[in-house]
Amino acid sequence: MKFAKYLLAASLLASTVITGGVAVAQKAGGTVVIGTTQKPRHLNPAVQSGIATAVPGTQIFATPIRFDDKWNPQPYLAESWKTSPDGKSITLNMRKNATFHDGKPITSADVAFSVQTVKDNHPFKTMFAPVTSVETPDAHTAIINFSSPHPAALLAMSSALLPIIPKHVYGDGQDAKKHPANSKPVGSGPYMLEEFKPGEHVILKKNPNYFIKDRPLLDRIIIKNYKDVTSMVLAVDKGEIDMLPFLTGTRNLARLKKNADLTVTNEGYAAVGPLNWLAFNTTNKYFKDKRVRQAIAYAIDRKFIVNALHSGFSKTATGPVVLGSPYGAPDVEAYDLDLDKAKALLDVAGFKADGDGMRFKVELDFIPAFAEMQKTVAEYIKPQLKKVGIIVSLRSSPDFPSWAKRVGGHEFEMSMDIVFNWGDPVIGVHRTYICSNIKKGVIWSNTQSYCNKDVDALLASAGAELDQAKRVDLYQKAQAIIVDEAPQVFLNELPYHTVYSNKIGNAPTSIWGAMAPMDNVFLK
Amino acid sequence: MSDITTTELVAESPLSEAWAVFRRSGLALFGLGLLLLIIIVSVVGPFIYVVDPFDIIWAPFTEPGVEAIVPLGTDQLGRDILAGLIYGGNATLLVGVSAALITVIIGISIGAMAGFYGGLADNILMRVTEFFQVLPPLLFAMVLVTLFSPSLPIVAIAIGVVSWPATARLARAEFIRIRNLEYVNAARSIGSKNSRIIWRVILPNALPPLIVSSTLSVGIAILFEAGLSFLGLSDPNVMSWGLMIGSGREYILDAWWVVTLPGAMIFLTVLSVSLVGDGLNDAFNPKLRER
Repeated sequence: MKFAKYLLAASLLASTVITGGVAVAQKAGGTVVIGTTQKPRHLNPAVQSGIATAVPGTQIFATPIRFDDKWNPQPYLAESWKTSPDGKSITLNMRKNATFHDGKPITSADVAFSVQTVKDNHPFKTMFAPVTSVETPDAHTAIINFSSPHPAALLAMSSALLPIIPKHVYGDGQDAKKHPANSKPVGSGPYMLEEFKPGEHVILKKNPNYFIKDRPLLDRIIIKNYKDVTSMVLAVDKGEIDMLPFLTGTRNLARLKKNADLTVTNEGYAAVGPLNWLAFNTTNKYFKDKRVRQAIAYAIDRKFIVNALHSGFSKTATGPVVLGSPYGAPDVEAYDLDLDKAKALLDVAGFKADGDGMRFKVELDFIPAFAEMQKTVAEYIKPQLKKVGIIVSLRSSPDFPSWAKRVGGHEFEMSMDIVFNWGDPVIGVHRTYICSNIKKGVIWSNTQSYCNKDVDALLASAGAELDQAKRVDLYQKAQAIIVDEAPQVFLNELPYHTVYSNKIGNAPTSIWGAMAPMDNVFLK
Repeated sequence: MSDITTTELVAESPLSEAWAVFRRSGLALFGLGLLLLIIIVSVVGPFIYVVDPFDIIWAPFTEPGVEAIVPLGTDQLGRDILAGLIYGGNATLLVGVSAALITVIIGISIGAMAGFYGGLADNILMRVTEFFQVLPPLLFAMVLVTLFSPSLPIVAIAIGVVSWPATARLARAEFIRIRNLEYVNAARSIGSKNSRIIWRVILPNALPPLIVSSTLSVGIAILFEAGLSFLGLSDPNVMSWGLMIGSGREYILDAWWVVTLPGAMIFLTVLSVSLVGDGLNDAFNPKLRER
């Protein structure tokens, strides 16, 4: 009889496995609670970058285009679009049934107004810098003209980057950055604002007149602010909240992975492209020599950083573009750990070791946040570089603005830094390499003061190249030079993960993750 | 201990008498022994156990007692915990003692002036003291360390600057009590200068409670240093117990020893300082002495 019991158990098990495999029907209704420690100042992504505004902002506002999880552009507010043969204009055919949350229809005039607002106010200047004009031949056609071909434009029209904002609300002549409607936004996305309590929560409710039929599926999304990560992680562990996007702490991730009711995924961050790197001030007397920079790259064991310091949750970075992007460069110099090579390079560069084996002394800055990515790695680099004769002293900054002031003001020797790709290299990568972007006082500009005319030329042509294969090739060439000259040591990609309850269906895993409309997210 | 011995010691000097009372207390002796041990290990240790506490010498998160080369295990980077404890003790004690010295110097100077002169001077100085007293000390220290770069001297100064008001008040109270005693009036009547009366006549007699309080302030300063390091506001280039706790705290669930061992050192040090302080209090307190 024991055997029969086993058989029964086995068949039961098999049947659950089978039913488990069948797709669950997409049910409407319910509330999803999202936890975050980032507090938005307001909810208008047209004039504000960053995760805090982007997550609610992409639910409230719709963009012309959105992207799937394989970097393919999909229709959203624009039913279709066409790039002219010379690449200097994109024609958007807008949906005719779309309305703002206040019931007014969306017209091409709103598109033109939104492009202008973003161009004038958004910190990512390169997104729409080439835009010369937006023509509106009829109410539902918008033609965006560029001074030169602009292949990054499609990505710049997705996620939180080009929210279509109503001209009849924001076009009243007030400064867009301080517009009162930024905190009471009127958009056209799947959810509309119910309540915004800064520092506490953003409550979003279903938009009944959403332009996609039978969507969104949820009744409400609550984005709840937590003061610290630990209590937020405990809350998701206990099932009090349903989703945590942008979680990086590897200890927390390891802990949450053990919870059978939760899914932990690193999908949904391909477009964010978050890089952790060691930046050099290339005007420094030691670091102006590329051999010194290469030596340091050879002296740092990136496998140790990823496996020992980050418990295997992060990924080794190879170059300025993350590998998840179509423009990533996997075949550049990998700088595998080689202390002898590092010492030889330093010798050749003229920095001979003294009696104690020491060569010179430098200061290392780090961002006083994301300790696992910044301070811990800096603490690792200190003894590691001592092995090749470089004495590193850590310089801590009391808060983020003090660090940004030092690094942005070029008052540093080397610094840990975290920089995002933001989808297309034109948006997030060019800024840290082109000569014209060496701007004192601007953080995440070319703070390395790195300048190479060849790289400039390659990036400029890649930024305007319409042929995808050629564009990839140009970016790979540029990255080969950059990685060789090593204005930064590319350490690792941030281990951004989304943790969500298994009750949630269609968790956001497109290239923009939670910074994309969650109109098909549902509760099982 | 016989009464005769005690009487003989009293006849010799008040200090030996105090010592006699001090050593009657087992706890105080235990504290003193522990403190001496910690001081010797921190001062002499670096010459015997020559391992750079910042060097990565073994696999990260090696448990204590597993590898002979790292007897107390390694931290999240693979740095030797034992080396950290020895070298860190050096920095921690240095900060503790120098911060306490700053506390005592500022506190006694201001308290002495206020207590001795009274009147307007007392009024002004006490308002200044109150100003410092009402500021939350840890926050104030954070502001000071933030304004200047976080280095060991700055941390010591910051701790000293925020913790002197209590000492000042104590000194003032003692000075007010003593300034009208007969021997002070006697000194005054033979024409001694104020400065001589303050420093040579009153201060030695006001010292006992001040010694007790400054001993205790060493312990408080060590806790302060640990607090600042925990918040990331200490010199990242000098190993201290607080720094070890600050950088290891995220790993407490995975590797208890990374924060527990330096934490235990802070606990033992502060405990021993407090026991010594209590012992001194008993020793200097005349009422207890007569018991």
